[in-house]
Amino acid sequence: MIDSVTEGMLIRLDATGVVASWHAGAERLTQYSAEDIIGRDISILYPPEEVASDRPARDLAAAAQAGRLDAEGWWVRKDGSQVWCTYIVTTMRGRSGAVHGYVLSARDLTERREEELALRRIEQMVDGIADYEVIRLDSQGLIRSWNLGARRLTGYEAAEVIGQHVSMFYTDEDTRAGQVESELTAAVREGRVEVEGWRIRRDGSRFWASISVAPIRDDSGELTGFVKVAKDLTERRQQEELVQRQRDEILELSTPVIQVWERVIVLPLIGTLDSVRAARLTESLLERIAADLAEIVILDVSGVPAIDSGVARHLLKTVEAARLMGTVSILSGVRPEIAQSIVHLGIDLEGLRSRASLKDALQLALRMLGVVGGDSDTGGRDA
Amino acid sequence: MTATVEASYGGTPSGPPGSAVLAPVAAVTIDGEADLLRVRSALRTEAQAAGLGLTATTKLVTAGSELARNILRYADRGHGVVTVQQVTAGHRSGVRAQFTDYGPGIADLDEVMRDGFSSCGSLGIGLPGSRRLVDEFMIESAAGRGTTVIIAQWDR
Amino acid sequence: MHEAVPILRVGPDLLVTLQGDLDDLTVEAIEREVTAEVTRTHAHGVLIDVSGLAVVDSFVARVLARIVGMVRLLGADSTLVGIGPAVAITLTELGASLDHVPTALTAEQGMAMLRHLRSAGTRTLMRHDSNR
Repeated sequence: MIDSVTEGMLIRLDATGVVASWHAGAERLTQYSAEDIIGRDISILYPPEEVASDRPARDLAAAAQAGRLDAEGWWVRKDGSQVWCTYIVTTMRGRSGAVHGYVLSARDLTERREEELALRRIEQMVDGIADYEVIRLDSQGLIRSWNLGARRLTGYEAAEVIGQHVSMFYTDEDTRAGQVESELTAAVREGRVEVEGWRIRRDGSRFWASISVAPIRDDSGELTGFVKVAKDLTERRQQEELVQRQRDEILELSTPVIQVWERVIVLPLIGTLDSVRAARLTESLLERIAADLAEIVILDVSGVPAIDSGVARHLLKTVEAARLMGTVSILSGVRPEIAQSIVHLGIDLEGLRSRASLKDALQLALRMLGVVGGDSDTGGRDA
Repeated sequence: MTATVEASYGGTPSGPPGSAVLAPVAAVTIDGEADLLRVRSALRTEAQAAGLGLTATTKLVTAGSELARNILRYADRGHGVVTVQQVTAGHRSGVRAQFTDYGPGIADLDEVMRDGFSSCGSLGIGLPGSRRLVDEFMIESAAGRGTTVIIAQWDR
Repeated sequence: MHEAVPILRVGPDLLVTLQGDLDDLTVEAIEREVTAEVTRTHAHGVLIDVSGLAVVDSFVARVLARIVGMVRLLGADSTLVGIGPAVAITLTELGASLDHVPTALTAEQGMAMLRHLRSAGTRTLMRHDSNR
């Protein structure tokens, strides 16, 4: 994955190639302990045929000449087994320019090779996933792998995106707001981040995506990149909007305001009232009052199964708001159980006029408007 | 002693991090009455941009007017800052506004946020009312350290 | 003639139109002019149209309650008109309910209300808790 010198081994040789210092990592790699190897020539690590062809001396000479040597080769462990390593020899010189010694770092590539093979197998598997975008980013956010799902989702071919920054799929607003950085940072911090948001396709169209980003670390815990999985939710979102629209329509239908007389409207309250519904009810009632110039509104509760303090509160708010607009409210359809509940709950309906039947309420309304004669409750209309 | 009262019907004022898109901010320094107009104007503009209906907008602007007026009346020399911005979280869009003053602060938040609290012209008038007008409301205050109120109103 | 606020005479009543934003200076001027006109014209009723106000918050509600109180002390009735659905809901939630202030849907209804109050012979002095 990454070439990190610190992950291998770092040992020091003197000017003749004798091991002068050793390292735990080197012991792990070669099985030689510091005791075993300090004071011995580095050629002990080379295979016999290499020693025969003088390879160790040639490596040191090359390093001395160029200052540094990068090489690969087989190394022999204490038990005789061999490992394929990549190693770097760096020359240490004194102020006079004379060679003081060498620093040697090596990394076992056998494991790395296996890792690479495994990675390739995973990538082939991932590549075949068509429904999800599964891609790899490096630690900077540059795209390092692509798959069929990603191609389908965004319309881009691998060649167009590999090496590009992942922000190419984000909207301008998101990019400006630092959305990419905050997602990657959150992934590192939390171990994983899941977001939903708009992304842009190759053709410029937007799609609503569900994104999951997780960091990838190597053995030492270093961040080496991210894996990003994305799914197109546009369809799901369209579904949700449709459901919401339908819900709104149903709400509209279930709050029919009926004009029963000039300047008198009736709102039959049906079913249970939750906060959302109650707020919508109040809004539409008030709008009807404004539209019809209704001086009296009759709130019919015969269809309400039970009154609790919440319902009563919404009712009172509605009545008060109507009053502020200049409209008087009459409660109608009060059943015995409702009357009992209201009194038991200790709700003060604050002088709200109330009648048991809609017919009685309507009669009262007409009396108040002076349409029919007889006693009306009060000479004025301000409660 | 800092007391925080949080009342939200739907999450924190700015939505879950990483999924809320915050738009550019309109900032108004509150120094005088004329600034109340600018606050209301900013709220109206953002409300329209977010697609809030008339009722939601009216409630938002009124709550903002109350809170800005509080800053004017009670903060040290009437100083404070109001910021207004449009926010999106998921498929909802809305308006988020922050009211910060450097006034005396509120010593007992619980008392002031209690309904029916009437302080005859002192700090906290209109706070419970403003809270009822908006979808999300958060207040932080400490005696001697000023007050910050953050509100949010959504289109649905 | 009227600098701060338009005041129209309609029969024995006055129609006061409040508009835009109310700052402290404007409020003072409104109170001054309304009380002066009520006295000068011996108006029986004052109809206050608030439909043009930029915002109706608790401050404005207190201002309105104060004006109504002053007018009542001068022996005239008042009625508010022009509170729309959105403002009505907002004021209700705020708890600034303007309990003791009569309201009307339209100017016509408002005038009719003032007439009605007049013929009923009620001229009431009402105490206001303007600190609500």
